[in-house]
Amino acid sequence: MSGSSRSLSSSSSLALPSSAAASARRREALRGLRDALPVLIGFIPFALVLGAQATQKGLSVLTVPLMTGLNFGGGSEFTAMSLWTNPPQVLLIVAMSFLVNSRHILMGGVLAAYLRRVSRRRALGLLFFMCDESWALSLADARKRGVAHISLPYYLGAALGMYATWVSFTWLGAALGPVLGNLEDYGCDMAFAAVFLVLLKGMWPGLRAARPWMVSLVVAALVSRLVPGAWYVAAGAVSGLAAALVLGEDA
Amino acid sequence: MDRLTLLTLVLMALSTYLSRILGYVLLHGRRLSPRMQRVMESVPGCVLISVIAPVFVSSEPATLLGLLITLAAATRLSLLPTVIVGVVATGALRHLL
Repeated sequence: MSGSSRSLSSSSSLALPSSAAASARRREALRGLRDALPVLIGFIPFALVLGAQATQKGLSVLTVPLMTGLNFGGGSEFTAMSLWTNPPQVLLIVAMSFLVNSRHILMGGVLAAYLRRVSRRRALGLLFFMCDESWALSLADARKRGVAHISLPYYLGAALGMYATWVSFTWLGAALGPVLGNLEDYGCDMAFAAVFLVLLKGMWPGLRAARPWMVSLVVAALVSRLVPGAWYVAAGAVSGLAAALVLGEDA
Repeated sequence: MDRLTLLTLVLMALSTYLSRILGYVLLHGRRLSPRMQRVMESVPGCVLISVIAPVFVSSEPATLLGLLITLAAATRLSLLPTVIVGVVATGALRHLL
């Protein structure tokens, strides 16, 4: 399929009967969901563990899907649970959670260029569902197709699949609670490294242009060893950005 | 649910949403210079690699070996097989080592 679903839908009244546009959108959404499948499988063990941890910290079974449904960010939720006390230290938890999420600011900045055709209001709704994986899959898909805008139904198919999986399995984890053992023992934590490495392979810009990635890797790795907490994500992302700025001169 | 828990969850959700829209709101409708565009193009890789960086310096030999196997799989296979190879290899190594 050439062109984005957006251009299909906006020109549909002229070129296509609306049912054809609707079925094109459905195909795109299913394509997004299918591409997201490995990610959804990777989500499940983490969602179960998060739900179980949350109930061990004293959250009720129904509070867990409330949290994951309103927040929808695994990194910040794990951080919040690791810092959770009774009563909770509200400001500490919110500040640390924002720190983990600070990478979203850069991600949203990148996505802005790919959402030029979308109204601001609609974009603000779509961004609620932006997570590492839905963002990366949609960008990789746009780049693969050589277009400068993401396919909205593709993005929504992937992102809503992730949302539904995350909320329902964190709820299940809360209900199952301490039945679950330590899933790290089974290697489940490697699922995310695997997903990200494949996505990185798809984005590989060549050795020279990938130098900022190496800076990010080294800085984030060092900070993760030396500084407790989630500072390494922000430190790695920002130092990679700085490296790209400096190295951009001779690119 | 007590009020402090609810307050924490609501503030957390608001701050997370803010992080999601902030970059868009700041850059929406702006024309970036070609140089800034190149810089922004390297951001996705920088973010993804930063998130998984701790695995690269894990203190567990099993995790490092598992990462090497996952890395090798990622260069050859598509997403789902890579995930399966990575998880199974790492899980097996952790039980063996």
